[in-house]
Amino acid sequence: MTVLAEGYNVFDTGKQPTGTIKYLGAPKDVIALIQSGKLKEHILLVRGGTTTFLAPALSMGAIGVVTMSGAPESHLGILSREFQTPCVMTVHLVEGSGSRYVPGETPDSHFEEIVAALDGKKVTLDCSDHDKGRVLLAE
Amino acid sequence: MTVTDRSQAEYLKRYEKDDDGLRFQPLLYQGNYKGMDPIPDGILGDKMIRARMKSGVLEKVSHAEVLNDQFTLDELNDLNNYLAWNIWDVLVMRATEGVSGMIPRQEYEILSFMNEFYRYPEIMRYVTDQIGAQGIIDIGASARREIGTKINCVHDWCLGAVAFGMGRCGLLAGEWIKPDDYVEESNIILKFMQRVLWGKRQDGLILNSQDRYRCQIHDEDFLADLRTQIVDFEPGSEDQHIFEQFNATAELMSFFDHYDCRLGLGDTGPYPLPDGRLLIIRDLFVNEEVFHWSDVCEELPHCYTLLVVVDPAVMGLEEIRVNDISTTFTIPKNYVPAITGGAVLVREKWDTPMGEVYPVKLSELEPHLEKIREATFKMYKKTAMMSRHTLCLNGIYSYYIEMILPHLRRAGAYDAVCQKFDFWEIDQRVMNYYYEITKRNFVQVTVPMKIFSGEGYLPFSDDADLRASKYFWG
Repeated sequence: MTVLAEGYNVFDTGKQPTGTIKYLGAPKDVIALIQSGKLKEHILLVRGGTTTFLAPALSMGAIGVVTMSGAPESHLGILSREFQTPCVMTVHLVEGSGSRYVPGETPDSHFEEIVAALDGKKVTLDCSDHDKGRVLLAE
Repeated sequence: MTVTDRSQAEYLKRYEKDDDGLRFQPLLYQGNYKGMDPIPDGILGDKMIRARMKSGVLEKVSHAEVLNDQFTLDELNDLNNYLAWNIWDVLVMRATEGVSGMIPRQEYEILSFMNEFYRYPEIMRYVTDQIGAQGIIDIGASARREIGTKINCVHDWCLGAVAFGMGRCGLLAGEWIKPDDYVEESNIILKFMQRVLWGKRQDGLILNSQDRYRCQIHDEDFLADLRTQIVDFEPGSEDQHIFEQFNATAELMSFFDHYDCRLGLGDTGPYPLPDGRLLIIRDLFVNEEVFHWSDVCEELPHCYTLLVVVDPAVMGLEEIRVNDISTTFTIPKNYVPAITGGAVLVREKWDTPMGEVYPVKLSELEPHLEKIREATFKMYKKTAMMSRHTLCLNGIYSYYIEMILPHLRRAGAYDAVCQKFDFWEIDQRVMNYYYEITKRNFVQVTVPMKIFSGEGYLPFSDDADLRASKYFWG
């Protein structure tokens, strides 16, 4: 499978959720997704590594999460582990500009590039490695 | 798994005197130790930094020392340096999490830190005057025979690590104070913290990191009563699934009700069970009545306490840490599939007597789960409508009020502090900082660089005067 992006793997798991990446940019996007009844069709892509932004999605059964910042010790990392929801954090694209996230110093273009590359793609999360999580293009 | 398997588990080596523990992250700490070897996280980090202390304040200290009202300058600086490393140890990786998209946590955090440094000293001095130094120690000791109490690691740690450590560090970073200012106030804060933590542990230490990340505070007879509630289940069973879902869902609500912070979560342990498994006692505070936004939680109790039993043999446990902000981390990271027993207990209100705490069977958790999910979604929709300013103010309350609230309640001083000190008011200087902190990348760059990396915890100089105060003791 083609590896689209890599990041920190929050916890090792054999679960390999597959779904269409949906970028959630604002709370209203989260509310709309939950009310659509299609939460479990999507791998959720968010910018931050905090918990509250995805709170209802996590408690209502999100199948997989990809973030553009944060680490397993971040609150979202802790909670995704507790929910056993596969989660890859601080992803960077395997192909592309080579841009990496640096706290406080990362321009919006970094996040926009990742969203443009991943949003709407059907992917599988591979979280079997101890440290590295991968976003794979689903066949 | 047999008891023999568990008695030979790798994690037990972490408690051997010469063992240095494992590394949970790759970064190194420098702090005020420029030109010296950098310090790692964990057991080895604790050993290295304690070897650099000038006083004995981070070794086992006596009751008489804790009752003494005054730290020496060396003790103040040792506490400053150790807390700076400890903060880095537990928070440096969390600090990479970036923007919330929901709650401006980085903004409200730094404002809270500074507000606490300005406001806690007069409150702490007042409470100490009311109940005495021993009374403060007894506040900590009360946690030994209670569950569902917020007199716990994270709250007690915050009294000093946040109010003194991060608060002073933030004010230094913003150049609003100088290193030798507020020495008297720093002493008041750190004494209050030391007394509560010492009273809770009662082994002479104050922090879990000094004890290879153990927080084994409960008395044996108290633990024995709790253990009778535990129900065993198989990995992959339906019971395990419902327990896992309940733990996660309630934990999420506890974070949310406390504005995306860890004050809603309190772990103690690990307590070895007779069969070699480990017990973590986890308080999840899903309804803090003091906050107006908790109206959406009115169907929920103050606290669910989970008895979480982990089998070290199932997961090949190599190290387990209950850190000083009440959170459990392990290597391997995923301990959830190794949970092979559990129980859920309910404390309806913060002051519900222990005799009225009641268990909920695993088969009866689903209605509780549904109520928590409903409250989570209501809280989300409510929060999404709030302005940034409102969210910041609520966030300040969720730290500044919350971190000392349990101690004020236990002292019977909450109402008096509200009345006498306008507890719910924010220091005017801090309100002014609200408009400053988003400039020049103060929140996004300076705060993480200075506070979470441990670079900004400047020591008191040799010329500092222990009496130096900038307080208006009105």
